[in-house]
Amino acid sequence: MSKSEGNSKNKCAIISSKLDTNEVIIDFLKKAMDKGIFDAVLMPLKVPAGDSFAYVLIKDKTLLKDGVPLSPIMSVQGAKAVSSVTRLGKAKMKIAAVMRPCEIRGTNELSKLGQTNLENITLISMDCPGVLPMSDFLIDPEKNIRIFNEAMQKGDDTIMRPVCQICDKSSMVAGDLHIGIRGAKKDTFFMISNSQKGNDVLDKLGIDLKGDINSWQAKVKNIADEKHKKREKHLKELKSKTGGLDNLADTFSQCINCHNCMRVCPVCYCRLCYFDSDKVKHPSEDYLKMAERKGSIRFLPDTILFQMGRMLHMSLSCVSCGACEDACPMSIPVAQIFSMIADETQGLFDYVSGRNIEEPIPLITYKEDELHDVEDAND
Amino acid sequence: MTKALKINKNSEQGVLEVLKFLLEKGKVKGVFTLKKIGKDGAVAYSLITKSDELKDAVPFYPLMPVNAGKLLSRFTLRGSTTDPVIAVVRPCELRAFIELVKRDQGSLDNIFFISSTCGGVYPLKMAADKKIEENLSKYWDAVSKGEILTDLRSACKGCEEFIPYTSDMTVDLIAKNDIDKQCVILLNNEKAEKLVEDIKGGFLARELDKGKLDKFCGKREAEKKKLFNEIEAKVKGLDGFIDIFGKCIGCHGCSKVCPICYCKLCEFESPDSEYKPSNYETDLEKRGGLRVPPGITYFQIGRLDHVTISCVGCGACEDVCPVDIPLSSIYKKVGESVQKLFDYVPGKDVEEEIPLLTFEKEELSEFED
Amino acid sequence: MEMKIGVYICECGPNIADKVDIAKVINAVSSIDGVVVAERYKLLCSAEGKRFLKEEIKKHALTHLVVAACSPKQHEQTFMEVCEKAGINPYLFQLANIREQCAWITEDKDEATEKAIRLTRAAIKRVCHHSPLEKKELECNTDVLVIGGGIAGIETSLQLASPDRKIYLVEKSSSLGGLLTNFDKTFPSMQSGSKSIQEKIQTVNNNANIEVFTNSEVEEILGFFGNFEVKVKKRDEEQSTAEFNVGAVVLATGSTLFDPMQTPQYGYGDLDNIITSLEFENMNSSGKITLKNGKTPNSVAIIHCVGRDKTGYCSEICCMYSLKFVRYLKDKISNVKVSNFYSDLCIPGKTYQKFYDQTKGKHVDFIRSTDIKITKNGDKLNIEYKDENGSKNNLVVDMAILTPAMEPTSDTSRLTEVAGVSLGDGGFFAEEHQKLSPVSTTTEGVYIAGCAQGPKNISDTLDQANAVTGKILSSLIPGRKIEPEVKISQISESFCIGCKTCINVCSYGAITFDEARKISVVNEAICRGCGNCVAACPSGAATLKHFTFNQIYKELMEAVQ
Repeated sequence: MSKSEGNSKNKCAIISSKLDTNEVIIDFLKKAMDKGIFDAVLMPLKVPAGDSFAYVLIKDKTLLKDGVPLSPIMSVQGAKAVSSVTRLGKAKMKIAAVMRPCEIRGTNELSKLGQTNLENITLISMDCPGVLPMSDFLIDPEKNIRIFNEAMQKGDDTIMRPVCQICDKSSMVAGDLHIGIRGAKKDTFFMISNSQKGNDVLDKLGIDLKGDINSWQAKVKNIADEKHKKREKHLKELKSKTGGLDNLADTFSQCINCHNCMRVCPVCYCRLCYFDSDKVKHPSEDYLKMAERKGSIRFLPDTILFQMGRMLHMSLSCVSCGACEDACPMSIPVAQIFSMIADETQGLFDYVSGRNIEEPIPLITYKEDELHDVEDAND
Repeated sequence: MTKALKINKNSEQGVLEVLKFLLEKGKVKGVFTLKKIGKDGAVAYSLITKSDELKDAVPFYPLMPVNAGKLLSRFTLRGSTTDPVIAVVRPCELRAFIELVKRDQGSLDNIFFISSTCGGVYPLKMAADKKIEENLSKYWDAVSKGEILTDLRSACKGCEEFIPYTSDMTVDLIAKNDIDKQCVILLNNEKAEKLVEDIKGGFLARELDKGKLDKFCGKREAEKKKLFNEIEAKVKGLDGFIDIFGKCIGCHGCSKVCPICYCKLCEFESPDSEYKPSNYETDLEKRGGLRVPPGITYFQIGRLDHVTISCVGCGACEDVCPVDIPLSSIYKKVGESVQKLFDYVPGKDVEEEIPLLTFEKEELSEFED
Repeated sequence: MEMKIGVYICECGPNIADKVDIAKVINAVSSIDGVVVAERYKLLCSAEGKRFLKEEIKKHALTHLVVAACSPKQHEQTFMEVCEKAGINPYLFQLANIREQCAWITEDKDEATEKAIRLTRAAIKRVCHHSPLEKKELECNTDVLVIGGGIAGIETSLQLASPDRKIYLVEKSSSLGGLLTNFDKTFPSMQSGSKSIQEKIQTVNNNANIEVFTNSEVEEILGFFGNFEVKVKKRDEEQSTAEFNVGAVVLATGSTLFDPMQTPQYGYGDLDNIITSLEFENMNSSGKITLKNGKTPNSVAIIHCVGRDKTGYCSEICCMYSLKFVRYLKDKISNVKVSNFYSDLCIPGKTYQKFYDQTKGKHVDFIRSTDIKITKNGDKLNIEYKDENGSKNNLVVDMAILTPAMEPTSDTSRLTEVAGVSLGDGGFFAEEHQKLSPVSTTTEGVYIAGCAQGPKNISDTLDQANAVTGKILSSLIPGRKIEPEVKISQISESFCIGCKTCINVCSYGAITFDEARKISVVNEAICRGCGNCVAACPSGAATLKHFTFNQIYKELMEAVQ
């Protein structure tokens, strides 16, 4: 398991401000745009259409005021938003992308997979309180915005997505800059830099990185440890409920194979999913033969095949954001299950997806000496 | 007068008896119907070849996990079935399958269809919340009385196409007050008569009760008008359109569950539809801000353009939408308007060509002039 | 077009007939859709057998052929040729192995028959989905890349170069010649070394069919025998790259000396007047042999086997050139005393003994010794050693010459990656077989010659250069056709999303990335059809000809029915 207190080499500045987190970030972005450090900003905005939240690429500074970096819902996983802007080529403008830590990690993974070009993009994250499940939010949007903001103030995560409630990486610094709230004295924030890009931005803004990061790191470690315990307990129960083929089949018995989970997932990047391709389309005789063997088969019989196949393909990059569970029309705890497995598959390689943009995804690395627990299993 | 089969059991049991008979006598190799699977009683379409598996089958259970037309298309996509199969489906599912057959996405050969006058289904959310079982008796009660429950799929509440056109057998359900005791199955053609000629049961001459069904249709029409008025008020002009789709997250779930969306690689997911960096720069210059990923309105208008001529109003789209956009009302309304232009009822007749592929010298005068 | 499949089961003498109930197999396959004939035959691979098949194909107008017999390793090619001669595309054929995988692994006839039925039926189901793949032919490229401009590389280049055959000679340093340029004389003839190599270099430079690259390194070699694509990087102002195609590659990168700094007991680098053999050669070539203070040494020790413990092998030439050094010293310094400290003397062959006998004599000692340690003794050096009897002894000398072991050059590792060869004993390039193929490698078309393969003297080096020449001349014949792999990978343009996972797992460098379309593209001339990319592609955009999902799925489904 990895800790989320960032790199101990991170430098930081301590900023005084009476503004709340959202406002501090917007203020920072405005100043940066004024100084020409960024030409555009990508962040969640409250949009008039449908009174909703969406990622908007902003060039016009007057739109900044509608920004809600810590939006109560994650309508689209931020990594998908960044990828759609630079998949086919690097941005010609200097863009600041403001997202939650899991979205930054997703972006790093997509960069490794050639699905986004981060050359002119500065990735900015913040300590994350979690997000509300979409279905809860939709019941009464206005009310739920208030409830979310209150919960954020109190550090209460019980109303958030189930995977947010067991997330021990909510302060992970994987981008260029990070705004830290945890462990900060009243009316102050930590501005943490994680890269030369980050250093340069702060330098141009005249912000000196001479602050003491210790109290943030300590508080973050504290929270992460607590969350980690919660996570272990929850996932242990989940494993006993879903472990084994029978239990897994029961868990997914209501799955209608709509593939929503796959499509909202930031790291499912295939243009045509294997499980939508001709390879899973068989002639009627084959289906009848299958049915005869068992007396009856679910039609279409590909439910577990899809779920496990998807797991096989993307587990090494899963960032446990929970977008999949939000999109599932049958309320299956799919994010919790995938997150649980991702811990184990990534753990095999001591890999945490997206924590470091230089670190290659284990699928394409080869070490002569590895995977002994798998290889030597029968020795 | 149509020949009908009467079985002195409730409708579900009656249908099961016919299915059992057909399987055991080898008249069909497989039965396609809803079935309870798993230990939590989840309901999913299944292909059954052994008659004892029928004990868990629940034909006409008020749930449509997937539009069966899509499933039957997949079953016969790689060629028609050489072994006979009987499928228990709702009228809109059968119509959807026929629309797909017209586009070479399936084959009708060797498939028998049992449908019914359809009382609608509950939304998927109710199944997710495991609330359907406790509402079952209420449901059948409403069906037998010819009433419309408020918690059904909105698509079902306003559906006037509840009588199947092309099924081989039709179970008489709506406004039939003894469906808990008697199952009456209309045998609509010789094929159907031959299938059950030696079954144990009474045969009689029967038609559907036109009067009762017309009255019921009136209720459905009223509901439809309500839904359409509501949606019309919300979606006024392009601004209204953009507003109603404001919450859309571009997941394309609606497209994936829609029986009429059959493309291998959707145009709106293909490289041609991808925003190039130059597109971004142009748009940003013009508008100052651009929602990303882009193309939501484009996708919705595009999909409306492509599918509405064949939209059967099943409502699968709305049920799968993670942000509760009233999709079925939108698609039903646009679908009806488009289909009316050509006097076309999707799935009514497999021989009737899709209007997109027809040309008549005298048509669409309301647009041309 | 209607499919007409012919199924033939080989008795393979008694091998299959005795262990598998062939009649049952024939029965079990005759009913499959598309099978028009199912028969048995005594020995299908015999001349009569092949004739029989050819006639059957014509008789029944077969479109596909299935044979149930031995392993594809044995006779897949045979029957594919039969198909071709009979007018069927050779890829519309499938061989079911009912010998090695059935008859030969069980005594139970029922078991063997049941499995034979499954395998044959599976082969039939598979062949229905085969595509008539077309073989491609390339005319082989007869040009040769020689890496290393020392004696081995120069000799090979000069022997191979002709108007039909261009040689690209790549040398990493600024001039050709290699180690030989340092040697005033060579043993045992004591004729000129550096002069003769200079003459050869002239010849190379004058040869219009040899293109020389100095200050250059080979960066990339893709492809296969008859069709290699080479990239050479030049260390010039523009860092330019040269790209060309060749049919064969010769690794003639020579060797370097073991660094005596790793054996501090010899005092090298620490004390004055301790030099390596190469340093001594250069000193000798300059005309004068002197100590650091300018004086002439009167007593010289030559220390053999420096580093031999560490490398674990004998470098073959040091004893002989030590004798040469004795001659150098005696020629330039009268009355010089030379002492050879050795552990074993290596003087094999018909001429070396004479050279040794003529070098021994007054003031030339050969001391068999171990545990040598050299320390300072005023201006002189004190050599401590243990003699043959194990007793400690010492000798004081003016100068010590160390003969370090010969080692592979520093770019050997990098070149194994580039050329697709491996390292063997001592870290030198691995030959295909020590006795039977000393100049080939396991990669067809890549050869090794000279000290790159292991320490050796000049005449052995020339032997190897000649051997490589012979091999290339006999196989890379102008006009010879080579067939690139037919069963290769294809990547769907519409489904590829450009994640490059396939490029990362391709062992042959056969996939490139098209920046404009942002998709991966297979180089059909280089792809070997290993299937790594197909397995790694998550969306299935990469597929393998003759091993499509459908073909394997159908085969498998039938086999496990």
